[in-house]
Amino acid sequence: MVLRLLDGSEAIVEAAILAGARFYAGYPMSPATELVEYMAAKLPASGGVCINAATEIEGVNMAMGAAAAGFRAASGSCGQGLSLMQEAIAEAALNETPLVIFNMARNQQDYFQATRGGGWGDYRTITLAPKDLYEAVEHVQLAFHLADLYRVPVIFMGDNLLARTQMAVDIRKFDFGPLPPKDWQLDGTSGGTGASRQIWTFGGGKTNTPGPGPSRHWEQIAAKFDMIATREARHEQGFVDDAETVVVAFGSGGKFVEFVVNQLRAEGRKIGFFRPVTLWPFPGEALERATDACSRVLVFELNAGQMIDDVRLNVGHRRKVRPIGGVSFDESGLNIGPLMDARVIRQRILSALEGEVK
Amino acid sequence: MESDLFISGIGGQGVQLIAKTLALAAIIEGRHVLLSGEYGGHMRGGSSVGTVVISPIPVRSLPILPDAGALIALTPLFWENVGPRLRRGALVLAEEAIVKDLPAMQEPRLVTVPATAIATGLGSRMAAGMVIVGAYGALTGIVSTESLVAAMKEQVPAYRRQHLETNEKAIWAGAGAVSPLAHPVAFARTLGALETGMVA
Repeated sequence: MVLRLLDGSEAIVEAAILAGARFYAGYPMSPATELVEYMAAKLPASGGVCINAATEIEGVNMAMGAAAAGFRAASGSCGQGLSLMQEAIAEAALNETPLVIFNMARNQQDYFQATRGGGWGDYRTITLAPKDLYEAVEHVQLAFHLADLYRVPVIFMGDNLLARTQMAVDIRKFDFGPLPPKDWQLDGTSGGTGASRQIWTFGGGKTNTPGPGPSRHWEQIAAKFDMIATREARHEQGFVDDAETVVVAFGSGGKFVEFVVNQLRAEGRKIGFFRPVTLWPFPGEALERATDACSRVLVFELNAGQMIDDVRLNVGHRRKVRPIGGVSFDESGLNIGPLMDARVIRQRILSALEGEVK
Repeated sequence: MESDLFISGIGGQGVQLIAKTLALAAIIEGRHVLLSGEYGGHMRGGSSVGTVVISPIPVRSLPILPDAGALIALTPLFWENVGPRLRRGALVLAEEAIVKDLPAMQEPRLVTVPATAIATGLGSRMAAGMVIVGAYGALTGIVSTESLVAAMKEQVPAYRRQHLETNEKAIWAGAGAVSPLAHPVAFARTLGALETGMVA
């Protein structure tokens, strides 16, 4: 084990390179700027290419091109930048190009963007939301693996706490098992040779080898996402067995809630926590089991109420579900605000337990 | 057991440098660390708080610490950012010149060191941060003075090599200015049974 002091952005870049990433075309926006800076510094030395794209749309489409040629490729920005990338993300989902998108989010307002998407068509995006840097090092590598395994875009969702907190980390390689060969990748063979390949959102083929056509193709894509939903939902939970109250939170928020719940447990409160590790697929069945016996489900998220929709969809009695989060930014509007604080979360949980009206 | 520490100063006093020196020294000794900063607008003269957590196993503390068991105080200003977040019995290592302006605290948890005076005596007032980090290491035993010196050398950029000798002297002088605590880990956080008592 070699521990080095790295900030989150640098550790994420090193994990991506270790996972075999060879192309990054990103757009710098706080707090995603360091990501493209470290990529620019480190990718070329590993035989890769980093491009600081002139726009988000260019960046994500360049990454899709590199991915279509078989390279592990990624793009990234903050949620505002990902807004512009939605069309390309939908295209990648529908033409089955494996792609990793880093969202170093300014807050937690991108839950809908990640889990519902903004592009057209019947698609979803696997979204990994690590709670800290240790988990992020694994999730970066998992994102590239899942993208290749299912030929889908995968979103890695971090935030400014993850990007800028420095930790002693050991960047080690994770093995997630074998992958199918990339027999679809474009290899430069041109039309007229009989050996060219086509990647097309509409599922059309060539004259000699017609594809399934749009309707059948999109049906297959939808079935693939249904299959992913049954296989890839991940979650973490604690103290739920005898909990009267279960607190649900994701990403950094999940780590803060876990901390506070540990504290309240030590004081004798019957409380547990549940953290969706994948925002999509949402671990709904696991949440249903975890909250089956409890009388109160509290949702902590730094937005006006987004994940709470998925919680209500999966908790047996939706009236048990109450929000304890809210919109919270610092003065710049670029950073997580004062609500992401264990003392505040603790107070909000206690207020809910004591039935006080906020 | 995690040792968590705030370092409170004014932007420009080297708070983040002290924090990073401690973190790197702990890594040199094979331990896990978390290092984060809280700044008041990223400017000179504003509040600057550094956070260092040192642990024998991967760190479980939050990147924004709700409370801590120790504080290095370089300024009496912005006390509201750190004072209410100290756990009961917390250790406060303070620059001697500011002690008269700090809120009343119970001995023996307040330890003072004339860091600025020592650094000035060594010819560089700016090395006060190195004096106090040396004192913190010796006081708590959390890292050795040798590791602090190595950590300092690791991060001083090439164009500031001329400060290495003074910085090294300052770290050793700080270490020599205090007596080790009898129970240095008493203020660390025991995870799972977190203390909630705060001092004002």
